[in-house]
Amino acid sequence: MTEPRMTHDQALELAALYVLGALEAEEADAVREHLASCPLSHAEFDALGGVVPALIEAELDGLEMIEPPASLGDRIMASAAADLEANPRGAAGRSGAPTAPTRSSPPIPFPSAEERTARAERTRTGRLDWALRIAAVIAIVGSGAYGLIVGGQLERARAFDAAVAAVVQAGSQPNAKTVVLATQKDQHGAGIGAVTADGSVVLALRDLAATSGQQSYTAWVIVGSAAPVNVGDFSVDSSGVRGFTTKPADTPAGAIIAVTLEPNAGNTAPAGPIVVAGQAAAPPPANG
Amino acid sequence: MNESQLGPRGRTASAADDADRAVLALVTAGQLDALQELYDRYRTMAYSIALRITADAALAEDVVQDAYFGVWRNAGRYVEGRGSVKTWLLSIVHHRAVDAVRRRRPTSELPDREDVPPPALTLPDLWEDVAAGLDRDQIARAMAALSDVQREAIELAYWGGLTQLEIAERTGTPLGTVKSRVRLGLLALRRALVGDDGAPDGAAGEGPP
Repeated sequence: MTEPRMTHDQALELAALYVLGALEAEEADAVREHLASCPLSHAEFDALGGVVPALIEAELDGLEMIEPPASLGDRIMASAAADLEANPRGAAGRSGAPTAPTRSSPPIPFPSAEERTARAERTRTGRLDWALRIAAVIAIVGSGAYGLIVGGQLERARAFDAAVAAVVQAGSQPNAKTVVLATQKDQHGAGIGAVTADGSVVLALRDLAATSGQQSYTAWVIVGSAAPVNVGDFSVDSSGVRGFTTKPADTPAGAIIAVTLEPNAGNTAPAGPIVVAGQAAAPPPANG
Repeated sequence: MNESQLGPRGRTASAADDADRAVLALVTAGQLDALQELYDRYRTMAYSIALRITADAALAEDVVQDAYFGVWRNAGRYVEGRGSVKTWLLSIVHHRAVDAVRRRRPTSELPDREDVPPPALTLPDLWEDVAAGLDRDQIARAMAALSDVQREAIELAYWGGLTQLEIAERTGTPLGTVKSRVRLGLLALRRALVGDDGAPDGAAGEGPP
């Protein structure tokens, strides 16, 4: 029942509700469409919309200020870094930005890509440094949490996010090793992991087939030519997302972390196909 | 619209606003450090707003992440001269939080949201900030100047995230009355803040100095 076109007067009448975001979705879309196509003045929208920032200030007034959990910042930086890897930004700026800057040049000149890289290398420190390196890993793995959100699968995204946050947390510890779990032939799944000080591996996995019946995923640590060591069994539900921390094991840099789909839990040697696998990598030496 | 001068009321941008704009320019250029800086400056306000609207810690975290990711991707859409980076950013958080609550609370009036573009890709409209430079006391006084029913309608609409139909239902008021209360309330608020009601007669936005 969408009205194809809204008259100018109808749109003006809805200006106040529109700027407050209090229209039903369909009406808001119709107003937006009208604003984009109507050549007449919409000064009322500007006049009323200009009050909205005051409402934000008023909203802050007396609002109890609560600090978000530390992991939230890591997640945000990880998703931004993953996006940057996937969509590098050229000097020409973002395509598709509908509103050109209306004022003079920005207050700080944009450095060249080389300068940015060099500067970033110089200024990266500590926790953020690690979050960024892990984020690069997430970019390799795939679209990451953001891709899941775009798919409209908020619950799944949240589960994967929480799992990734745990990996970022573990990976931010001194000397933690990281591992990218790549999909093996004819299998589905991907993930990242971080090896903690006691040798257990914190895993964030997604796109796995759900387990059924007795089936179980099993994580293995393989050092050199030694036999694989079972470091934990876990099931996966229909979301395909799993966060899991393995049992402690000797997991030096270079060890292979593999996840197999087993007919049952508790096997001491793999009986099923390897689904995802990767190699634990030591952190590069941190200078400066 | 002529934006070549300072704001139409000659308002002064604070040093913090200028610093925020510089940081945002670096975000636009793809500097992760700048995003971290912007996060550190406003994370508490952003999270507190999201938490108040959603009343759900996990959802509030998603909202803030979503909002900052939107800022990361769309920093170039911020328009200087329309308002501070702070209010722009917090209004994005606010919109996201209201969106999240509405999605979680499907009503018969809402269409199937499956076809709607993902929330991370939409940003609230930008308006010239008529209240820039005013302090909280002035804003609180302006709010207090509204009639009770006007203030209630605006609070339910903006802070409560209710739609006009939901406000009508909640307050047992005809829809037409809700519409006029919100409109007259906003006009009164504007008058109290800047001394004109922005009547759409061509002279809107040109208030006294």
